[in-house]
Amino acid sequence: MSRGLLARLGLYAVAAWVAITLNFLLPRWMPGDPASALYARFQGRLEPSALDALRLTLGISDAPIGEQYVDYLGQLAHGELGTSLVYFPSPVSEVIAGGLGWTLFLAGGALIVAFTLGSTLGALAAWRRGGWLDSAVPPLLSLLGAFPYFWLAMAASWFLGFHLGWFPVRHAYGPEVQPGWTLAFAASTVRHAILPGATMVAASLGGWVLTMRNTMMGVLDDEPLRFAQARGLGPSRIFLHYGVRNALLPSLTSFGMALGFVLSGALLTEIVFAYPGQGYLLLQAVRGQDYPLLQGLFLTITLAVLGANAVVDVLVTALDPRTRG
Amino acid sequence: MIVAAALLLGLAGCDDPHDATPAGTLTVLQEQQAAWVRNFNPLITTGGARWPTTAGIYEPLIIFNRAKGELTPWLATEWTWTEPARVLQLTTRSGVAWSDGKPFSADDVAFTFELLHRFPALDGSGVWTFVDAVRAVDASTVEFTFNRPYSPGVALVGNQAIVPRHVWEAVADPVSFTNPNPVATGPFTDIRRFDPQLWELGRNPHYWQEGEPKVDALRFPAVASNDQALLALVRGEVDWAGNFVPAIDRTYVARDPAHFHYWFPALGDTVFLYPQTTRPDLADVRVRRALSLAVDRAQVVRVAMYDYTHPAHVTGLSDGYTAWRRDDLAPDGGWVRFDPAAAAALLDEAGWALGADGLRHDATGAVLDLPIVCPAGWSDWVRAAQIVARNLGAIGISSRVEGLDFPSWFDRVTQGNFALAMGWSISGPTPYAFYRSLLGSATVKPVGTATATNWHRFGSPEADTLLAAFEATIDPVEQHRLAGELQRTFVESAPAIPLFPPPAWGEYSTERFTGFPSAANPYASLSPNAVPETLLVLTHLAPVDTRAAAR
Repeated sequence: MSRGLLARLGLYAVAAWVAITLNFLLPRWMPGDPASALYARFQGRLEPSALDALRLTLGISDAPIGEQYVDYLGQLAHGELGTSLVYFPSPVSEVIAGGLGWTLFLAGGALIVAFTLGSTLGALAAWRRGGWLDSAVPPLLSLLGAFPYFWLAMAASWFLGFHLGWFPVRHAYGPEVQPGWTLAFAASTVRHAILPGATMVAASLGGWVLTMRNTMMGVLDDEPLRFAQARGLGPSRIFLHYGVRNALLPSLTSFGMALGFVLSGALLTEIVFAYPGQGYLLLQAVRGQDYPLLQGLFLTITLAVLGANAVVDVLVTALDPRTRG
Repeated sequence: MIVAAALLLGLAGCDDPHDATPAGTLTVLQEQQAAWVRNFNPLITTGGARWPTTAGIYEPLIIFNRAKGELTPWLATEWTWTEPARVLQLTTRSGVAWSDGKPFSADDVAFTFELLHRFPALDGSGVWTFVDAVRAVDASTVEFTFNRPYSPGVALVGNQAIVPRHVWEAVADPVSFTNPNPVATGPFTDIRRFDPQLWELGRNPHYWQEGEPKVDALRFPAVASNDQALLALVRGEVDWAGNFVPAIDRTYVARDPAHFHYWFPALGDTVFLYPQTTRPDLADVRVRRALSLAVDRAQVVRVAMYDYTHPAHVTGLSDGYTAWRRDDLAPDGGWVRFDPAAAAALLDEAGWALGADGLRHDATGAVLDLPIVCPAGWSDWVRAAQIVARNLGAIGISSRVEGLDFPSWFDRVTQGNFALAMGWSISGPTPYAFYRSLLGSATVKPVGTATATNWHRFGSPEADTLLAAFEATIDPVEQHRLAGELQRTFVESAPAIPLFPPPAWGEYSTERFTGFPSAANPYASLSPNAVPETLLVLTHLAPVDTRAAAR
């Protein structure tokens, strides 16, 4: 491994520490305390004395902030994320585990589809510059992406799911199947992922197409490629080996960033399609001032962003000799 | 790829939700959750337990039936005072078994209350603030000795869910126990399936009511938003729900008028506009009455609540208290009627003269400025507050809505840092708790100190005497007289401004099940949110096709 790569990984470690510390501080700067937030959710249906009972139950700490920080780091080192307050007394790791897999499956799948499809379309559009693919597809997709996502998802849910009845309108699998390694379950999960996944792809496809198309055009206009053409290199070799490989680099970097945001970005999709991911958990954690759950979620998101970027860095280094220091 | 898509579409085409639900399985929407977490601890106060935990799995001693305004004997068959309002004896029901077959007895009741004593975090209703001792006199009698005469205590004691000693004795920390496989006395106790997005609760084979429940199982799909809930309702996938549905006759009932029904009785806890009465301007009862007279409640109800309810009664009491409510105190509606002219006259009288700028000023020239704090996300309350602010502006009061995020709003109201605030109220089987939180000096805290009730910080010595007398008497006639006097005190002192009683949301479909409460048959509240009254409903429901349920 090169020295440059090592330095970069060190930078990631520092970023992770800053994120972990901010993660600790941010919820504590929010107004109110979680017991009040929980009590308030009952809108007076709880006896007033329940407020004291709640404070006792949640063990709200008045310890000095330094002490709390040391405790927090210690628990983190043991992989312990604490007990969720909203889902009391379930441990945070258990609450997050329920939704994390589904979010990764749905949003990760949609991202890979959007990236692959978008980059392919973009590359083809640039290759046949001025063709119908180049003139019609990018504006159409940009138009689709310009709709507010919430509206797009609701419209798809209403028209394709409810009105025409082509797709299930909620959940990650049907009530008739039990989760397990069966074909029926797999088919059900795929069927349930199509509509929410398609809306996510539709909303983000335009960006991928445009990025790829524009970079690809620049690359194809480069002198070395013109030279290769003049030397009589085959069009497919020029397209794939010299064009796509070079044009993909900026897209790949965005892909790494998008992969990290997948974990938090699926919030709206999950609410509209009642998909059991972790986006909705985040909303609930904020509402309920569930510090441990918030910290757990932010931590997974932060680490995912950092992890994905580290992987992309390594990949880009492998693909692009110029970045090898 | 096209072939694969067509294939999947074909598969999707035969997706009929009705085929998926077995006959006899009742689908309920109550909690809004994206994914289920397995927790059936009936004692924890955080609301982390699944809805049926205290609504159908565990049972209380006595159920307060809000729709009828009466106490229904449940695990306790009768209750008597051996010393009026001080020593209470409850007789437990005979022939009740826990779902594991072991017999239920008074010992389980005593054990449950001891548990609350040992772990104050479990004592959500604060039973041990007035109870001194609990003991099982014999196998079917349990005795509560109060530390002072406290007749409202019977409903609080009666409402407690009872857990089995033989199971909970072995639980080291009942506060953090998730109780994944409940042993209980209720009609439904068998967790048949538990996935993050769907779970099912089967009936208790040992249930004490002969032939009940007739429903085979309850099914709970995880639904995180109101839109999704509405979609499921409209598609007929849900048999019973407690959601707010806009324009329900058009959006829901019209889809299948023969089967889709709703009942929204105004049984909820009255929504108030609270004036912070320690402020010099709002300490004046004339100003508070003027504010109330300026509010167009008919418009508030129409815009904020889609006309699902009606303007509040001058006593503040909701429709859950019709047996207690006095109509003679203000036959013309009193200070909850809409009368801006009378409001303006009261303000003039109180020394707030209308200035050339169209605003009210006192002798020193200070403007009457009363902003309203409201949780920003609660759209119905925000709409109501906006109308109130406009109404106040019409009589020269400077007012506007301050939308705050939830925790900030709660901090402000509980500590008394506001001029006007939207807020809920406290309720109970009698108007005692309601008026204690509105008028009782004992609930008043200084500004800056958080308090769960009496955010407006108003104490009335006259009400204190009445409340103390109410606590000491067990005579219903005397209780009604005292409650009447409390209403008079409330109407005279106008400590807070009632806006409207919110409806208890409830929708049902008779396509697969019958026996739901309705306006025509109001044997209990329909809303699944009314826990533990839901037990009355669950033991009344029956599948339409009885042969299918006999399986």
